[in-house]
Amino acid sequence: MPRVAPSSFRFRLILALASSLPGGFCAGRDVTTAWELVARHLPGDALAQLGAASADPSREAKLARAVAQMDSQPVTEARLQQVAEQLTTLARGDDEIAAAAAYLTGRLYQVHLPTPDPSRAAHEYEQLAARHPGSYWAQLGLVKLALLVLYVLPEPTEPAARLAVAVALLPRLTAPELRRDLHIVLGRAKLFHGRPGTEVLEQLLAADRIGGLSGVSRADLQLQIAELSRREDNWAQARDYFSRFLAENEVDARAYQVKEKLAEIAAHLRTGKAARP
Amino acid sequence: MMKPSKSRLTLALFATGYVLAICWVFTRSTPLAPKRPVTVRIAHWQIEKGPPDGFDAVIRRYEELNPRVHVEQVAVPSAVYRLWLRSNLSGGMGTDLVEFGYFIGGVNDIPVRYFEPLTRLMGEPNPYNRGTPLATVPWRLTFADGLYFELTQSPEIGQIYAATLSQGSMRLFCNRELLEKIAGLGTGAPKTLAAFRTLCAQTADYARRTGAVVHPLAGSLSNGQWIIDFTMMGSVSGMNLDLDREGYLARAPRQAMTDYLLGRWNYRRPELQAALALAREMALQMKPGFAQLGRDDAVQEFMRGEALFIFSGTYDATSLKKLAPFTVEAMRYPQPQADDPVIGRYIRGPFQDGTIATSMEIYLNKDSRHKDEAVDFLRFITSQEGGQIFQEHSGWLTSVRGVPAPPELEIYRPTGEGYHTGIQYIGIGPNSTMKFWQHLHLLVGPQGSVDRFVDALEKDLPEAVTADLRLEVSGNLTALRTVDSEIVAMSVLNRLQPLDADRVKRQHTLASSQTLSEANGCESAWVLARHGYQP
Repeated sequence: MPRVAPSSFRFRLILALASSLPGGFCAGRDVTTAWELVARHLPGDALAQLGAASADPSREAKLARAVAQMDSQPVTEARLQQVAEQLTTLARGDDEIAAAAAYLTGRLYQVHLPTPDPSRAAHEYEQLAARHPGSYWAQLGLVKLALLVLYVLPEPTEPAARLAVAVALLPRLTAPELRRDLHIVLGRAKLFHGRPGTEVLEQLLAADRIGGLSGVSRADLQLQIAELSRREDNWAQARDYFSRFLAENEVDARAYQVKEKLAEIAAHLRTGKAARP
Repeated sequence: MMKPSKSRLTLALFATGYVLAICWVFTRSTPLAPKRPVTVRIAHWQIEKGPPDGFDAVIRRYEELNPRVHVEQVAVPSAVYRLWLRSNLSGGMGTDLVEFGYFIGGVNDIPVRYFEPLTRLMGEPNPYNRGTPLATVPWRLTFADGLYFELTQSPEIGQIYAATLSQGSMRLFCNRELLEKIAGLGTGAPKTLAAFRTLCAQTADYARRTGAVVHPLAGSLSNGQWIIDFTMMGSVSGMNLDLDREGYLARAPRQAMTDYLLGRWNYRRPELQAALALAREMALQMKPGFAQLGRDDAVQEFMRGEALFIFSGTYDATSLKKLAPFTVEAMRYPQPQADDPVIGRYIRGPFQDGTIATSMEIYLNKDSRHKDEAVDFLRFITSQEGGQIFQEHSGWLTSVRGVPAPPELEIYRPTGEGYHTGIQYIGIGPNSTMKFWQHLHLLVGPQGSVDRFVDALEKDLPEAVTADLRLEVSGNLTALRTVDSEIVAMSVLNRLQPLDADRVKRQHTLASSQTLSEANGCESAWVLARHGYQP
């Protein structure tokens, strides 16, 4: 029996050790670079980095290849169908890659395919949430499912029923930032479907309590709460949110209006008109 | 056979010639290899007088500070800019920094496809502001408008794609000598719309008396569009706020489109009828047939002394002041008051005469080979020092906060104290805007009237607004799709590499922005499906 050369033995030992490490650390540098390119919206470069499918048959590389293909021009229905097949295969696993692949399958059917299939997308999100309920991807899928329920799926037909189904998704969301986003989506949907301001405010205030928004989303949320509170004669709450908005957005084009509204609210509060707790 | 002394002389001559040639090559001619290893190119369409000088001055100072980097400006005429942009970017030959604006039309896909967001960098201080009051201020907040406009225009909610260089407004530029001939020595800028009307009447009277060809306003389609746009903006703030069910205190084009299809407004609303009547009145201060003329024609009319004012952007100011054979004075456009007979009852208050939004947006090319250097130059030109140099040499107000301006530039600065409620209803998307201008002759022509214009426009609008909303939904989808891969990539990179808190935050911000943007798209699609135009 031939003796294993020391260098070859060392190589095998390193390989064995590497394979026992958590998934991330055994992913090749090429895959990491490819993901960096995907993050920078350079899918063509990412695919070149990954090379042929046979070059790296790892699940990590397969997911990277599928995601890069989703974005790589020209995007065709045939190519997206191929990507859907690759993702479906990856989703059969029981790891983070599987959850991400299942989520992306839902996204393919929801927004990527030229002819979307919202029912199929909803099914994918439900399946994902059932298999990996605590996964980030399952939780994000539930937020996307709420959008489908509120606006896209044929059933239920009545807005009130749509809202009820979407509200029922809230307890399943444990990730605070995703729960916050669902509160905002629900608040906006209630506005859109003509629900009373108090119901809208309930959702928006819940989102604000979770916090963590930044930029325009944060400014818009503060302003919405302030103005809707003002319309509900909740002067103190309106004043607090207008003040917060102004403190953080002094150069916003709406700052002049906000100053005017604060003066109007101050006058109301001074004359003791119905300042609710 | 050549004598030895003669051959030595020949050889010496050759050697001297060779040495001289070598010296010439290395000292006088263009270097064989560039002295500076990195060249950053910035493309823009501002070929008016002013900005190219501003760029040159900033580049000179930047190259002093950065000996490794050479910066070139590529000035592309606006007439071919769209074509140039598309062909160069798709061919991978775009410049490192690119001026871009959504109003170019037909290019909405370009930012997500070819430009790189600057969001993360905008959260960090600009190192070139070291030693100034802005030293610790995040880059975004060093702009006069906090890049609010960039954020609202962004193809992805929450992402900042561009830094701006300038801040401008629309102003009346006056032929000072002609004003004094018409209205008397020492006549100042008209402060009210009533005073402006009086001045227009005096101009017509002057033309009649002297036989001179003089109109109150220099005319062209562009100048006409600008004054109609400006007039409408101030007149519809009350209507915008009435329609604001969501409490944003402003209306975005998407909301105006869905509102139109839902029957919440149309051009028969009294506010819009009054706004159009005022727009017609102002446009008629230009010479008949102005809509057939181009922007240069209006400038020439003004330069010939055949118009008392030209209503234009402050981007024309440097050209006008340098080229005119008379004194050009910039004046604010007088705002209608509550007692105005045409629009008064719909005026909610003063409106921002020029939004505080900064402009001249510069984007970073995703495919740039020198991203770090390109960003560094962008930081310099938008620092207090860079902004000051650009302002001084271009005659354009800088976008950077805290840069003092001389009085002749200070008048360009928008007040900020007034209403700004979003769109002004000169169309609400590319198709409806095209219809608005296609029917303009029915509003401002000799036989024109508000009723004729509105009748024709309303006939076309259901189909046009439906097409606009379809475009909006499709653009929204394009932006959403590209974000999916980035969200997954952020998450995977955090698994493959040591956890990066910024990347986690970015992933969550992206997911959140995408969801909220998607909700907007869903609302639009809902309205489109149920209320869109059906032939």
